[in-house]
Amino acid sequence: MGLLLPLWASASASEPTPAASSAPALIAALGQPAPAHTAFAEARFLQVLDRPLVVSGELSWLGGDRLQRRVDRPQQETSTIADGEVTQQRPGKSPRRFSLKRAPQLQVLLDSFVALLGGDAARLQQAFEIRQHGDAAGAWTLTLVPRDARVAKTVASIRIDGYAKVSRCMHMQEADGDLAVDLLGPLAARMPAEPTREALQALCQGEP
Amino acid sequence: MRRSARAALLIGWLLALAGLGWMISQRLHVSTDLRSFMPAPTTPDQRLLMEQVGEGPGSRLLLLAIGRSCASGNCSLHCSDSGIPAVACARGTGPSMAGAGQSDAKLAALSQGLAAALKKDPRYSQVLNGSFDLAALDANLLPYRYLLSPTLDAQPLDEAYLADQLQQRLDDLSSPAASLLKGLLPRDPTLEVLKLAEAWAPAKSPELRDGVWFSPQGEALLLVQTAAAGFDPGAQQQSIDGIRQTFAALPDSAGAALELSGPGYFSMVAAAQTRHQADWIGRISTVGFIALLLLAYRSFSSLLLSALPIASAALAGIAALTLAFPEVHGITLAFGFTLLGVAQEYPIRVLSHRRAGEDALASVRALWPLLLTAIASACIAYLAFYASGVNGLKQLAVFTIVGLLVAGFSTRYLLPHLLPRRVRDVADMRWLIEARRFVDRLPRPRWIPVLVAAAVVAMLALARGPFWQDNLAALTPLPPDLLQHDARLREALGAPDVRYLLVLEAPTAQGVLALSEQLQPRVDALLAQHAADALELPSRYLPTVALQRERQQKLPDRATLQHALDEASQGLPFRADLFQPFVDDVEAARQLPPLTPQRYAQTPLGQRLAAMLVERDGHWLGLGTVSGVHDVAALQALGENTRGAVRLLDMKAASESLVVDYRTRILQALLVAAISLVLTIAFALRSLRRAWHVLAPMTLATFLVLAVERVAGIEISLFHLVALILAGGLGLHYALFFERDTGDPAEQRRTLHATLVCVLSALLVFGMLAWATIPVLRAIGLTVSLGVAFHFCLSILMAPHARQD
Repeated sequence: MGLLLPLWASASASEPTPAASSAPALIAALGQPAPAHTAFAEARFLQVLDRPLVVSGELSWLGGDRLQRRVDRPQQETSTIADGEVTQQRPGKSPRRFSLKRAPQLQVLLDSFVALLGGDAARLQQAFEIRQHGDAAGAWTLTLVPRDARVAKTVASIRIDGYAKVSRCMHMQEADGDLAVDLLGPLAARMPAEPTREALQALCQGEP
Repeated sequence: MRRSARAALLIGWLLALAGLGWMISQRLHVSTDLRSFMPAPTTPDQRLLMEQVGEGPGSRLLLLAIGRSCASGNCSLHCSDSGIPAVACARGTGPSMAGAGQSDAKLAALSQGLAAALKKDPRYSQVLNGSFDLAALDANLLPYRYLLSPTLDAQPLDEAYLADQLQQRLDDLSSPAASLLKGLLPRDPTLEVLKLAEAWAPAKSPELRDGVWFSPQGEALLLVQTAAAGFDPGAQQQSIDGIRQTFAALPDSAGAALELSGPGYFSMVAAAQTRHQADWIGRISTVGFIALLLLAYRSFSSLLLSALPIASAALAGIAALTLAFPEVHGITLAFGFTLLGVAQEYPIRVLSHRRAGEDALASVRALWPLLLTAIASACIAYLAFYASGVNGLKQLAVFTIVGLLVAGFSTRYLLPHLLPRRVRDVADMRWLIEARRFVDRLPRPRWIPVLVAAAVVAMLALARGPFWQDNLAALTPLPPDLLQHDARLREALGAPDVRYLLVLEAPTAQGVLALSEQLQPRVDALLAQHAADALELPSRYLPTVALQRERQQKLPDRATLQHALDEASQGLPFRADLFQPFVDDVEAARQLPPLTPQRYAQTPLGQRLAAMLVERDGHWLGLGTVSGVHDVAALQALGENTRGAVRLLDMKAASESLVVDYRTRILQALLVAAISLVLTIAFALRSLRRAWHVLAPMTLATFLVLAVERVAGIEISLFHLVALILAGGLGLHYALFFERDTGDPAEQRRTLHATLVCVLSALLVFGMLAWATIPVLRAIGLTVSLGVAFHFCLSILMAPHARQD
């Protein structure tokens, strides 16, 4: 928690004024045709661990509500979200399946990611309360707070940092204090071997 | 008798009836449990059936579905993509997620609310809705997971295993499944709880949404096990009412619909449907019956008064039952009232045989010898049922014998004093004179009995299909959509079959569990061959004490485990001391006294076991539930060479064999009844020749009914037999009265009148029943109607003194 407090403090210090009017325009500009692929590197800061878990691979939006998360390092694993079901496959093991309903984090990921890649501001607004900081021409930050109270019990908020028409980072803040930071696109290659929250914060909000 | 004396007699009689009614209301306990009507079981399977049919885990299971209720149509059941708004029919995928999610959440909340309320209610022994909370294995019992789970049988809790497990957990934490496991990690890094939850979940577990089971159609699903026996419609009605009331009392239940299914629900529906149809048919035929009697006797007071003997018979019969038996079975009452139909003849005979100006008492005196013969012979015949030793039949005998005696004697000694003095002699009615002439002119060739007998034999020989219908359930069939609904829910819930049960028997509970453990590998092999979809043995929920001890001894002590854990987590990023709760639990598990059924019974899961592990007469039985049986022979083979310790109980076969036993008892009783009837009639008439004239038409008519029904493709059930007995009783009256040689044409006409009224009223009442859609009512109605018609025709055609007229 010690690490967490300064982050929240800095976040609230720079609390943006809601700019609902320009958010749809920004989101619409982010839209890409399916299928869209992007490299990612993720660092998870979990309370049960001494140091963050880092994985990297590729995220793909296959169109519709289908999303694929392929991890290449440290171990191969492919997770596919399709038709409300999550399928998790590792080489040499039988696939594990579970309902999307059991994993609100994934639901949030799906909702936000698909809406962003599809440039679907309406859908994003249906699932989240949106706040924008910065403007579409330069560095910006979108903060998404789930509207569904049940989802909000596990996922406190999602923050997306970007520059112009490119999303660069995605932070998923869980209600229990755990945090996942995904570096997207070219930024993924710059994931430090031993990331800290501050280092990632600097990477995400720095100049491209 | 003077007016005041008549009034006093009437009042006294009514008071006596009221008194009987009061006594009955105080003492009568109607049992609806089918088992108490059945004969004592003889084979071990029958015994098990009787003990377990109502109490077996499968038959006590109710399947519940909470769906969205729709004002129009049945969209909660059939969600098509067209025309139905998304909120009503959301499937949980696609862009309407938010709406469906809320709707699902509401149904899930109702499911949780209902489950929580029912768990507190003693009427339900188990409530499952898919929410596997660790509370199911309450916190004190949580360390027992190391004694209950089979994981560690093959795998010591050592450094290598822990290292592998920890690495897997690390992979899990970086995967999308992380949130599912994060909370469990410190206490249970090997996920023993999830392995148990998986093992205990129904074989084919429904989809979980919002933490509870959902059907593919979007209904929240629950399984409720009632404390009441499954085939006791009365008790099931109470359990089901309880569920409905609890549901209705939940906040927000207004927008949702609760649907039920399962054997208990079916037995209730069948009973209610039968009662409903019997009621409305009864109302119509009562009106017709009253109209017929008014038309026949043109006297309202006669009509009302003639109801008194029947009412007295019914009340006295029930009163006698309440004195002789602690509980009266519902079927006894239904059969009994049917058989009591004979008694309606007594007052009708009296009314028809009155002469102008003659005192009612005088008419009764003239009739009494014959009436007494009829009553006595019927009572003697019913004594055979008492001697059968079957509880249900004994009750039936007591009810009918007391009823017939009371009806007869009150007709003889009370009714005549009350009847109006002046009446119209029916003998002078023109149509009756014509009718009698017609009857007398009918040819009565001697070859009629031979012809009828030959026809009977031919028809019985020609009839196809099984002679007996032994499946009592076939007599009260359920609507097909109800069965479809049940099949759908059963499929979705993976609920066990009601028909088969794998029975394990041993002197002790531990013995049963040991047997169950031995059997498990063979069962697993059978399941792999798809002999059945699932077979759940009691040891699945609780291993033997011996096995628990064995597992306990394999658990490492605190120091060893801590060392292994430290080594295993070398180089892994887990926080130091994260797994302290795990180490504590394993240490606790080493010290625990093994879990016994008694201790286990106090937990929610223990109740599941309690339904599968029962004590009977110092013996212990394990009841394995089977779902989706594909290969009965393979399952039966499990019992080979076990000397009966393991056997597959086919409830359907066992219950049919019970019905066969029952029928055999009735047929034996009937044989004895027939012999005593011949003797009584021969003795009463002092002539074998006259006895022949009474008994021959009756016997022929009875077999003719059987033959006609068989040729029509009807399979004969217990209810047909009882109806045949009633028809036989009525036929005895027709034959007795037609046989009577009075030498007085007017009296012959009165006899014809009385018989016509009796035949028409019986045809009216039972003819109506013959139109019922429920087979059990149709069986009784058709058989009695045919019987009455045949008895009437044959007793006229075979009447002896036609030649003299």
